[in-house]
Amino acid sequence: MLKVAIVGCGKIADSHAMQIQRIKDCEIVGVCDREPLMARQLYERFPVKSYFSHLTQLLDEARPDVVHITTPPESHFGIAKVCLERGCHVYAEKPFTINEEEARGLIALANERKRKITVGHDDQFSHVARRMRTLVQSGFLGDGPIHMESYYCYELGRTGYAGSLLDDQHHWVRRLPGQLLHNTISHGIARIAEFLTSDSPRVMAYGFVSPVLKAMGESEIIDELRVIIHEEEGATAYFTFSSQMRPSLHKFRVYGPKNGLVVDQDQETLIKLRGPTHISYAEKFIPPVTMAEQYLGNLVTNVRTFLARDFQMKAGMKHLIERFYHSILADTPEPIPHREILLTARIMDAIFAQLNKKQSQVEARDCVPLHSELTGRGLQI
Amino acid sequence: MLETGPNACIIGPDDLILITGATGFIGSRLVKTLQDRGFRNLRCFTRASSKVPRVKALAAGFGHQARVEVFRGNLLSREDCAAAAKGAVVVFHLAAGRGEKSYPEAFLNSVVTTRNLLDAVLQHGSLKRFVNVSSFTVYSNTDKPQRGLLTEMCPVEAHPELRGEAYCFAKVKQDKIVTEYGSKYRLPYVIVRPGYVLGPGKKNITGRVGIGTFGVFLHLGGSNEIPFTYVDNCADAIALAGLTPGIDSEVFNVVDDDLPSSRHFLRLYKRKVNRFRSLYIPHCISYALCYLWERYSSWSAGQLPPVFNRKEWHCHWKRTRYSNAKLKTRVGWRPRVPMADGLERYFTGCRGGEAHA
Repeated sequence: MLKVAIVGCGKIADSHAMQIQRIKDCEIVGVCDREPLMARQLYERFPVKSYFSHLTQLLDEARPDVVHITTPPESHFGIAKVCLERGCHVYAEKPFTINEEEARGLIALANERKRKITVGHDDQFSHVARRMRTLVQSGFLGDGPIHMESYYCYELGRTGYAGSLLDDQHHWVRRLPGQLLHNTISHGIARIAEFLTSDSPRVMAYGFVSPVLKAMGESEIIDELRVIIHEEEGATAYFTFSSQMRPSLHKFRVYGPKNGLVVDQDQETLIKLRGPTHISYAEKFIPPVTMAEQYLGNLVTNVRTFLARDFQMKAGMKHLIERFYHSILADTPEPIPHREILLTARIMDAIFAQLNKKQSQVEARDCVPLHSELTGRGLQI
Repeated sequence: MLETGPNACIIGPDDLILITGATGFIGSRLVKTLQDRGFRNLRCFTRASSKVPRVKALAAGFGHQARVEVFRGNLLSREDCAAAAKGAVVVFHLAAGRGEKSYPEAFLNSVVTTRNLLDAVLQHGSLKRFVNVSSFTVYSNTDKPQRGLLTEMCPVEAHPELRGEAYCFAKVKQDKIVTEYGSKYRLPYVIVRPGYVLGPGKKNITGRVGIGTFGVFLHLGGSNEIPFTYVDNCADAIALAGLTPGIDSEVFNVVDDDLPSSRHFLRLYKRKVNRFRSLYIPHCISYALCYLWERYSSWSAGQLPPVFNRKEWHCHWKRTRYSNAKLKTRVGWRPRVPMADGLERYFTGCRGGEAHA
């Protein structure tokens, strides 16, 4: 029986507790939050053995094998370090750490202590993402990806998380180097990082505060981001984050030399894009039929998954946790390679470095043409 | 100016009153009610981001002699709470995490904030009453017979975590922490539980009438009484709960007189605001559907969230009668806006904006 603890009892901790419950041969031996009331409310709502308000007390008394860290990102490094030093395996929510340097430090420590460590990029373990990975690994694209497009949008409103962020000038998200982007884009960036072969791609980022946010009086939170990623002799990628475009997409397109794939995270659909074209007018009539057939196939798959009771909104998290626990018990590699965690952190560092530099430049100018922002300022990482 | 004379009020007109959630739907009316009653020293706690016009309206609403301090802060900050509570003799605590589907967020914004405020008022020691504004949603209603009377004596939900409603969970825990502070630290408190508060500015139809989630409006209330209270009447009740002597540790439900049935309300709404299609679901069917949803949610490990369940049905759709007798007898409250007028003003407000069915 694997003993699990959760540190940080906010919104995402609920998802962890819920998904851990669905996994066999594990139990939540303790939850911890520096606000005792928050720790207690999680304890009261889930089958949890005990609750704590101090990390060391949790580690001493509950003695967990694995610790899930679901606190704000700025505390991930410190908490993970203590847990690793005390011999626990660590699952840290995204973003893994504040920057690559911290990520590198934690991974080195985990390797040194022979402990497993992973990050909560659970979207990559949803049903549809796993189907896509299987296809890519089977050579469907023809070879490695030539180009990728990752959309990761977030609707900002006046309620919930976004509302509290916009309302609170001291919100923890504002203290992150990339603010709102820092807490949201890693899912979309990690999708790209998974398929990059180079460790130092070129990153060109352009971001701005949307007119809608400006009208609300917000001038600091960048909520529109466009990124170009390019590796020498390798793949290129576009990344888009938007709070305003509709539909608010969570989509990934990947094109190889032979075929392409489109994953829609929200609709849980995987569409194959054929490389070869049909002859003459056949291209106008046959593809719509095959597309309809594919969508119908996706519907059948989704219904079957639903009937099998494995279509929870956070099903990807369950599968990631399950694989992580398996890697602990069987001493096999973690489900997310360390290289991918580091590359994601590195790309994000490059994006925020450019945005912060531009932000200070933009403040000195009234208007910056997009073209000039995108040319010649790429950051080799 | 004081309707309640010096003997009938626990504070004087110049004693400091703190109101949290002061720019909210009820809070802004409460501020006006207190002003009308002659209280001249008000501190309005608002979020840092509260819309400027609302805050200005608060201050502008006070004429000549009133001192209105708008305190911008965050109830999650103990420092802000301590600063806001300094010198406060009566605290009206209306701020709460509303409309949040996440349990931790609702809890954080209702319970942790309340605890911070309670600690702050204890620290200063000037408090004569802490008025905690709660909700009807905390009542369990499960063991009561059909058409039973809901009073302040009815039990509160023992397992709010099973209701599938984050707001209920947070409010039950909020009430609990207030009563705990009452017994542990002898904190003088009163709990006020309004029914569904309506008035201009509210556009939604309460879920007690029905829900439009599934494309067609499902009318679930039928012949049930709907526990409405008009916002001005509700503000009066809250004000009196904070000022009337001899009611410490009491709970008061707030509903108006002449409550309409769900069917009558829906008919009026369609006639006066906008027409839409609705489908009446008899009580036995809605109960069965809630039961099936609850079972499926549990069997599928939350594939469908447990938002419909038998506890929720008992609270919202079971035939229930409501009483305001305690409020009338103990604090002398009377609804100054009759139900017919209140509904008319609500419908007019709905017509002015986008109406939601």
